Amino acid sequence: MFAQFLFISSALLTLGGAVAVLVTKNIMHSCIYLLASLIGIAGLYATLGADFVAVTQIMVYVGGVVILMLFAVMLTGGKDFVSRAQNLLGLAPSMGNRWTFSVGILVALVFLATNIKLILNVSKSIPAKTFGNEFPSTVNQIGHLLVKEHVLAFELSSVLLLGALVGAAIIARPRKQ
Amino acid sequence: MMGLASYLIISLILFVIGITVMIARKNIVAILLGIELVLNAAALNFVAYSRFATNNLDGHIFSLFIIVVAAAEAAVGLAIVIRFFQIKETIHVDEATTLRN
Amino acid sequence: MNQTVVSYLSQYEFYDVLLAAFGKNEGLLAFAIYLLGGVIIVGLCATIGGLGTFAERKISADIQQRLGPNRVGPYGILQFLADGVKMMTKEDVMPFTADKMLFYLAPMLALVGVFATLAVLPFSSGLMMADLNVGIFYLIAISSLVGVSVFLGGYASNSKWSMLGGMRGASQIISYEIPVTISILAVTLLAGGMSFGTIMSHQRGLPTNWFIFHNPFAFIAGFVYFIGALAETNRAPFDLPEAESELVSGYHTEYTGMRFGFFALAEYIEVFVVCGVGAALFLGGSNLPFDISFDIIPLQLLEVVIFMSKALALYYVVIWIRWTFPRLRVDQLMAICWKYLTPIAIFNLIGCAVWVVVFNGKSIAELIFGH
Repeated sequence: MFAQFLFISSALLTLGGAVAVLVTKNIMHSCIYLLASLIGIAGLYATLGADFVAVTQIMVYVGGVVILMLFAVMLTGGKDFVSRAQNLLGLAPSMGNRWTFSVGILVALVFLATNIKLILNVSKSIPAKTFGNEFPSTVNQIGHLLVKEHVLAFELSSVLLLGALVGAAIIARPRKQ
Repeated sequence: MMGLASYLIISLILFVIGITVMIARKNIVAILLGIELVLNAAALNFVAYSRFATNNLDGHIFSLFIIVVAAAEAAVGLAIVIRFFQIKETIHVDEATTLRN
Repeated sequence: MNQTVVSYLSQYEFYDVLLAAFGKNEGLLAFAIYLLGGVIIVGLCATIGGLGTFAERKISADIQQRLGPNRVGPYGILQFLADGVKMMTKEDVMPFTADKMLFYLAPMLALVGVFATLAVLPFSSGLMMADLNVGIFYLIAISSLVGVSVFLGGYASNSKWSMLGGMRGASQIISYEIPVTISILAVTLLAGGMSFGTIMSHQRGLPTNWFIFHNPFAFIAGFVYFIGALAETNRAPFDLPEAESELVSGYHTEYTGMRFGFFALAEYIEVFVVCGVGAALFLGGSNLPFDISFDIIPLQLLEVVIFMSKALALYYVVIWIRWTFPRLRVDQLMAICWKYLTPIAIFNLIGCAVWVVVFNGKSIAELIFGH
């Protein structure tokens, strides 16, 4: 019963947050709704018994990515820019207008239609398993997998992160022209 | 109710919303938000399959790497956004028309 | 693996009586126990947070040779209740240009982030809400909500002081998370697990078994953790986000009444939480200094007392530091984090790993006295 409650509330948080990201006109609010959506996904991981992934999700997104996004919004002018783009430049407003949304929703509907059929087939072909309430710990197994089978990907990802760190620092550094 | 199909449908809706955000928005930061949604939808799929279809944890590893890549992508992407703002004083994606500077 | 307070209580006879009273519905009973435990722990920690403000004023008065609050109740101990009543009855002002939703959301997020950490705080070996497999990792992760709330509080107020305070707070919190997390990783390495139960069971017995005395690297890691935790909770000498001499009071300048109270309460409870985590990770947690084999509820309460006394001793040190050291500058703050603490923390992690391999995980005391 608790698992179902967690599942329903997480799913609602995820989808509600995502929809709010789509419809809101304020980029700052958009970031906060994204935060809600990501926490909901962490809840969904928890219902799947993926405790380590769930906590990593919260750690990386809440503590890192969302704050980074908020900083970027702050450093790039925030909402003043919306009116400027509408009035002076004659481009579509930065948070989108009717045309951009209709194109986006059209693409989305095409995608939805093609994928629903796939999902129905998949859920038929994979037999339904029944699980108890027992969730074995995944921390030890993930640790072993990371340094045994997936050690190459693990090391490569550390190189990737180092590259991203150095690259971001170099790109964002203010330069005198 | 908590079967594979429900997770896949949640992930599909998330993916579709992410795509829509990416297309509809003209603000680069908002486009990055859409990319985060799409990446998370993919990661959710991996974990769901790892629980319902296989008996190992490779899906978890994949989704961890997706999180790592998303973090790196966000860092570099936002650095580019800030640099772009320093040059053009806007973050409208249609303003990014030149390769120089 | 998943030890919770419910599975601990279920070994006793009165659990069956309770189960019968709940009509043999284990889920309902578990829910009731969790609800009761949650209310007790949140109430307890809110009281500790409230008393923290009183302790801060009293200790600062002691250091500065004043009397401090002494009117309400004996020794002024009810002062925090008077403050609370004052905050409740104040007018709830919101700036005209504020972002309404984020302005309301920020104090709530701070409280949520802090209260969520209480779920894994190990008050004793049996009476903790849940001993998650990823306990300490969860605690670090969920407490970063406080950083978001600081940032949002600064942004939503739409005031220069708040904005600067919020920016400083967020950058400080995410910077200092790195040395803190790496220091905690060293402890995780020594204990071989992330759950508080595993970590505390490795420190059983005399203080020589505590992780801070395990090896020289862990000793330094303990201090790195403590300094980083001070910075993460925005305590002096790292209280730049709310530096009252330059920013009026930082990210909560524009907050009045109970919303300000939420921020203050969240800060004091978070100080208690990081002190508790420091006690659990480095100072042996709730372990008794002698071995008792029988397992009874009063013993658990004794363990709670031991844990609380360690955590509150650290709390005293935090307040003592606040009234002793001057505040840093922003560039000094970042230099301490990135140039000193982070390299030291990484060095400690490598040192601990080498120690575990070379000495087969034995502590210094075990090597000297050999048992």
